[in-house]
Amino acid sequence: MTATTKTSHKYSAKSILESFGIGIALLLLIVFFSVTTEHFLSSNNITNILSQVTINLILAIGMTFVILIGGIDLSVGSVMAFAAVVAGKAISMEGFGPAELITVAIIAGLAAGFVCGLLNGVISAYWALPSFIVTLGMLNIARGAALHITDARTIYSFPYAFEEFGSLLFYGIPVVFLVALALVFIAWVVLTRTVFGRILYAIGNNEEAVRLAGHRVFRYKVAAYTICGLTAGIAAIVYMARLNISSPIAGIGFELNAIAGVIIGGTSLSGGRGSIIGTLLGVFIIGVLANGLILLGLSDFMRQMITGVVIIVAVILDHYRAKYAS
Amino acid sequence: MATTILECAGLKKYFGGVKALDGVSFNLAKGEVHALVGENGAGKSTLIKTLSGAFAWDEGTVSLKGKPYSPTDPREAKDKGLQVVHQEFNLLEHLSVAENICIEAMPRRAFGFLDRAEMARRARAALDAIGLTDVDVSTRVETLGIAHRQLIEIARALQSKSDILILDEPTATLTDREKERLFAIVESIQEQGVTVVFVTHHLDEVFRICNRVTVFRNGKTIITENIAESSPERVVQHMIGASLDSSVDESRNHPTFGELALRVENLVHVQNPHGEGVSFELRYGETLGIAGLVGAGRTEILRSLFGVNEIVSGDIQLDGKSVRFRDPSESIAAGIGFVTEDRKDEGLVIDMSIAANVSLASMKKVNRAGFMDFSAEQRNTQQRAGQLKLKYGHFNDAASSLSGGNQQKVVLAKWLESGPKILLLDEPTRGVDVGAKAEIYSIIRSLAVEQGMAILVVSSETPELMTLCDRIAVLANHRITGILDRPDFSESAILQYAYGQDPNARQQA
Repeated sequence: MTATTKTSHKYSAKSILESFGIGIALLLLIVFFSVTTEHFLSSNNITNILSQVTINLILAIGMTFVILIGGIDLSVGSVMAFAAVVAGKAISMEGFGPAELITVAIIAGLAAGFVCGLLNGVISAYWALPSFIVTLGMLNIARGAALHITDARTIYSFPYAFEEFGSLLFYGIPVVFLVALALVFIAWVVLTRTVFGRILYAIGNNEEAVRLAGHRVFRYKVAAYTICGLTAGIAAIVYMARLNISSPIAGIGFELNAIAGVIIGGTSLSGGRGSIIGTLLGVFIIGVLANGLILLGLSDFMRQMITGVVIIVAVILDHYRAKYAS
Repeated sequence: MATTILECAGLKKYFGGVKALDGVSFNLAKGEVHALVGENGAGKSTLIKTLSGAFAWDEGTVSLKGKPYSPTDPREAKDKGLQVVHQEFNLLEHLSVAENICIEAMPRRAFGFLDRAEMARRARAALDAIGLTDVDVSTRVETLGIAHRQLIEIARALQSKSDILILDEPTATLTDREKERLFAIVESIQEQGVTVVFVTHHLDEVFRICNRVTVFRNGKTIITENIAESSPERVVQHMIGASLDSSVDESRNHPTFGELALRVENLVHVQNPHGEGVSFELRYGETLGIAGLVGAGRTEILRSLFGVNEIVSGDIQLDGKSVRFRDPSESIAAGIGFVTEDRKDEGLVIDMSIAANVSLASMKKVNRAGFMDFSAEQRNTQQRAGQLKLKYGHFNDAASSLSGGNQQKVVLAKWLESGPKILLLDEPTRGVDVGAKAEIYSIIRSLAVEQGMAILVVSSETPELMTLCDRIAVLANHRITGILDRPDFSESAILQYAYGQDPNARQQA
């Protein structure tokens, strides 16, 4: 009872502490690349890393919600492409001013992601289907829809303000990365400070106990998938702003990078355990590794192999952590 | 009697401080059908597990065919001729009957290819051996009924050399016709010289097909009797023991209760096999116990009241109004709490904090516009912990860090936080040590007496019900066979009702 004043913060402090090991791993990577390469710590390169991780970070935030409840979402890469072409179609309409077009495009893109996520959630939760299969289906549907809408053609030429936003820097930090960081903060608040977040963790741990405690598990599950779809929509807008195109073949394989970030960040694939801070660090480990290895002169093929090894090592470490905890 | 094939002397087995077997001595004669009976937890299942090599015993000796016997794993037990058909099925549903029967030693041809013809031949022979000639060996197991699956398990067990076949609760899920078939097969196995051990709750079956019966009580064997010289009443007496009704508190014989809380009329839920419902009433301040054997339908009543199990027909009145809950959220809102039987699977979110578990059924109390009110949660948890004398390190520790008794208190705390008027308790002290048990009893009593809660409690431990309850309803096969008031409480009456006997009928000499 002596620790009464501090304990209300312990809930989140604990989740940060759990990410400690991953933080050290990231730090070691940064030190290693700083010593072994000339340009790693240059401001240009840091800007570079930050803009490279942005999209994966946004996707991984939503993915964290889904994995925390014991699910998986394989569709986020395709949904991102679908949302991007929907927004791209909206933004290339004629007869409107740039402000109106941008607003409509953002709303359309977010709505497209939202709807895909909602469908993933409703279908997998209502029929108690494995989310692996349902979202694999959505992966194909969204990709096919994106190609169909555009006739497999890339959409170009967006309003200048929109393109500018994508490359805007704030003291060397890409503004789109700050957007992603703001989303990390919101997700952190939701997961550690709200009743909704508490119930999501509990569902990942023991769905039946949560149901018997009077919570409508169905709604929470649908919400988690919808959040994941929505972040794919946000990622789509950021992607368009950065590259100034809407391509129906964007985002292939992005779902796997997002999942890798979440898992390296220490979130358990079986649900119930993990944190958004871990996801942030996990995404950075992948990003720093990619950037640093290329600066070291390694080929992209080598980079892929090493990233793969890191994923497996992370899961093995998680196995021991889970054993240690129980 | 014929030659003794297996002899147990003074078997003891401890799990931590709990004596699961506390002196088991009996023998099996070659070619007999021998029944093992006793209340839930009397030690029958533990005995079977030790004999079949699942784990070793701590003291005592067993000899098989005159030689010392102590199997180190199930394989060795099988090789020595002791086969067990377990209560829960071990069949691979998506495979064929033939594959299931041969799974332990698949016939091979050169290069490790499966010899399908030989497999089918062996399976056919195994089925024919027990008279199951009407089942095609290529049928997939999932298309077969429960009874056939049972028989296929027996056929599988018997295809290897068998001296002893142990059947654990083989009739639990069978219809009468299916039972007849099983009995015929048991008889034919017996004629082949195999000893059959029959573990069951149903005394009528014991007297129908068995030669001898051994009675278990509290991990001990009490007596072995020849069926011809015994009677079901005598067996029940042995199961209960001599010391009866020691602790009935006379002062509680004429209590006064509050308003009618719950009236249940002809409640039939989906698991009820015969459509004959149960009816009872429960008043505020009253504790009603539900006794009965495992499988009698006790938990299902609680689950259907709580809106988990589907209700087929019948009427539930809460405070005089008909209700029908479709989801736990509705029953909780109506003031019902449900302490489930299984802490780990249904009660606790075991890897989350004690505080998180305590508030799980009453999140409204810690909800400030969607945000967690951690200080309120902490206050509520500390208050409940004090009320329930919870022993814990820190309320942010995971629930898994607690002992069984304290885990159970966390489950209780969770439901008390939800502010129930009616509390459903399923096996409230299972896996709880003696000290914590007494504390939980006094908590439950004070909820009823001081807070006027209406309490419905299911338990397999008759003394527990006799301590806690004002009345006890006894279930047998989803029917209430008797409701006892406190002055009439006795283990023998409860057990007789549970076995479908009428304790008021004159005992036969």
